[in-house]
Amino acid sequence: MSRVTPDRVVGVAALVLAVLAPLYLSSYWVGTLLTQMLFLGIVAASLIFLSAYGGMVSLGQVAIYGIAGFVVGNVTTNGNTKGLNLGWNPWWGVVLGLAIAVAAALLFGALASRSVGIYFLMITLTYSVIANLTFGQVTDVSGFGGISGIPAPKHIGPVDAHSNRLYYVALGVALAVYILLRYISRTPFGLTLQGLRDDPVRMSSLGYNVMLHRTIAFAFAGFVAGVGGVLFVWWNGHIDPASIDLSATIDVLVIAVVGGLYRIEGAWVGALFFVVINNYSQQISFIGPRFHTLIGAIFLVIVLVSPGGLVGLWDRAVALSPFRRRGPTDRNPIEAGQVEPSV
Amino acid sequence: MRALRSRWKLIPLAGAVIVAAAAVAATATARNSASPIRIAVLSDCQGAFGSFDNQDMAGVVTAMVQYAGAKAKNPNKPRDGWVGGQINGHPLKLVGIGCSNDRADTAIKETKRLMEQLKADIMIGPLSGDESIAVANYAKQHPTKTFVDGAAGAQDTTLKVRAKNFFRFNGDGAQWNAGLGDLAYNKLGWKTAAVVADDYSFAWTSAAGFVAEFCAVGGKVTKRVFPPLNTTDYSSYAQQMPTNVDGTFVAVGGAGLIPFLKAYEQAHGPIDGKKFIGNLFWGTPGQFEQLSSRVAGAYVGGAGTAGDLATPAAQAYNKMVGKVFKQIPPFGAAAPQASSTFTFGYYVNTWGLLAGLKGVKGDISGGQKKLQAAIGKVKLRTPYGPVHLDKNRQAVIPVYYQQLYLKNGKLAVKTVGYIPGVDQSFGGTFTSKTPPPGRNFPACVKRNLPWIGHTQVPKVTG
Repeated sequence: MSRVTPDRVVGVAALVLAVLAPLYLSSYWVGTLLTQMLFLGIVAASLIFLSAYGGMVSLGQVAIYGIAGFVVGNVTTNGNTKGLNLGWNPWWGVVLGLAIAVAAALLFGALASRSVGIYFLMITLTYSVIANLTFGQVTDVSGFGGISGIPAPKHIGPVDAHSNRLYYVALGVALAVYILLRYISRTPFGLTLQGLRDDPVRMSSLGYNVMLHRTIAFAFAGFVAGVGGVLFVWWNGHIDPASIDLSATIDVLVIAVVGGLYRIEGAWVGALFFVVINNYSQQISFIGPRFHTLIGAIFLVIVLVSPGGLVGLWDRAVALSPFRRRGPTDRNPIEAGQVEPSV
Repeated sequence: MRALRSRWKLIPLAGAVIVAAAAVAATATARNSASPIRIAVLSDCQGAFGSFDNQDMAGVVTAMVQYAGAKAKNPNKPRDGWVGGQINGHPLKLVGIGCSNDRADTAIKETKRLMEQLKADIMIGPLSGDESIAVANYAKQHPTKTFVDGAAGAQDTTLKVRAKNFFRFNGDGAQWNAGLGDLAYNKLGWKTAAVVADDYSFAWTSAAGFVAEFCAVGGKVTKRVFPPLNTTDYSSYAQQMPTNVDGTFVAVGGAGLIPFLKAYEQAHGPIDGKKFIGNLFWGTPGQFEQLSSRVAGAYVGGAGTAGDLATPAAQAYNKMVGKVFKQIPPFGAAAPQASSTFTFGYYVNTWGLLAGLKGVKGDISGGQKKLQAAIGKVKLRTPYGPVHLDKNRQAVIPVYYQQLYLKNGKLAVKTVGYIPGVDQSFGGTFTSKTPPPGRNFPACVKRNLPWIGHTQVPKVTG
């Protein structure tokens, strides 16, 4: 029988609150802020998965998320002045969008799999720049103005009229992604990945194909990021190169670091924090459009005070409480001294 | 008898009830007639056009002061908005000012914040082309809200998207350049030309106006170059510009114009103003003063504005802006900035909205259908001439073009050409069925345009 821990209590409470959110929050909070939090959390979760279990801090997740979004936009819209306007069923758009996103991630992963640390970071940053410039320059599939009027499937949209539907879809997908990432991390593949993270030379000498494992992990994370991209274009109805520019890339990294780069849950904690600060800081006159200055300062404080992010603060609070965990394996790797913070 | 007496006793009680009911009804009626109209403004405070943010708000606030009795909150900072102002007892409440950055993605996020979080009934904006296409698409999904443009001039916004609740009282980029092709071919003697334009919807539309007219009269456009918007180093694009042409049309705007001209001079030597025609940015108050005196002599496409027009209405408008604001940062004194595309664009669109609101006595009930019908019928006698909307809710406008010249050693602008009643079809060149303006459209072909050879010379001051 599962032990009742503070994490599980908070997790179940958060889930219950999320399910009941449309009953006690405004439609703007549910349809805009929380839905945005969920899909941004999914993208950040793909980054945290790579970082926490594979030791790969990727700046390419937003590029893959954008590829999925642009594919969906091009094949499902009709009658627009931009894009391919193929007018496909949105579900076929999802299939093709995710397939192309995974294919791109496989390619990106294969190219980057030999590198580590700062070099891996730079190569994946290059992917983001390439994706941004490609969609900005190739007017057949986007151009500067991007694709507007992207429809959600009939039973989910129109999103503006039925924002709760997309919220519940995003909530279900986020939950599924969380469970899937937790599950993968416990499979032989996930354990191998953690081994590669800790000592790739030893794993290689034991006969594991380091590059292949890294490539597959990158492609899997690309699939998760692609799911986030599909939800984004359904939610926004629009995607353009600015949706996947350097600022968006850094935003996802900030979400992951602020939430906690070593636990999957941190993705949604960081996303909620980011989305709320982004939204409400603009109404404070002396901050206004200087949101990135504010989030940059918060980022610095969190990195200095708690390298494990907001989830790390929670871990510390639990460790000091009478409900502290007993087993060392459940602890945040940074707190346990097993992993050096790399960002 | 006792029963009768007790009934008499009820009379004061009944009277009290009637008075109370009347008071409640009066309060309810008063509340209904005084229900505020919630207005949001979407401006660009960042990006290529971020420096025109206060001009945008100056236009909105001036119209609010002039046509709704509002008052500027701060005469030195238009972005602070207005106080007061009402239509038929309905207060005009400014619920928020969005800060976009010329990118559609940001414009949509800000529009959502203004319309859904701050619960605006009506939005004025945005500023630039692709933003307006995205906002018009958003408007289509929200038919019970009303949107009027700010200063955006992409053609697709009204010709292709055609949202029934999106109205534009300013011209599009092609309309604004009517007369320039005729001028280049027949007056300046250009037979061949090159075009350089930002790679996005507004600049494509702006270039389309020049290309369509220049080719219509027999000219040839031999090269089209499209640097991305927000480019900072234009050297590779300047290198691509041919020098074996009679002239060059430049539709690089906002923060990119001066870096482009510098890169052009580095690549090809000093600019000869007579071999250049620029779009509106070359004559925008606050911007043209920063150009080198070497561009004197260049002709400039307008934006349906002419600050030096010698009509009482044009001069009164300049004075009005100068009365409402002392300064429009960061460019200084307010009155000289009245004819800026951005000041006038936001002004005329806000005016059109207020005229529509007056038409329905401020009643925005019924999903704003009555208001939207009323705005569609609005005809304005603007400072620069009459404006009305076509069936796509796009303005038919008077067009002016200008020339840069030296006045006491400093660059100045004078209006030299006027064409009344230019519509979005551009003499039948553009329809909802033709491809949108882009890197290769319109093609360079001869055609008849109604205003060729009929450009008038307006009377100007100074």
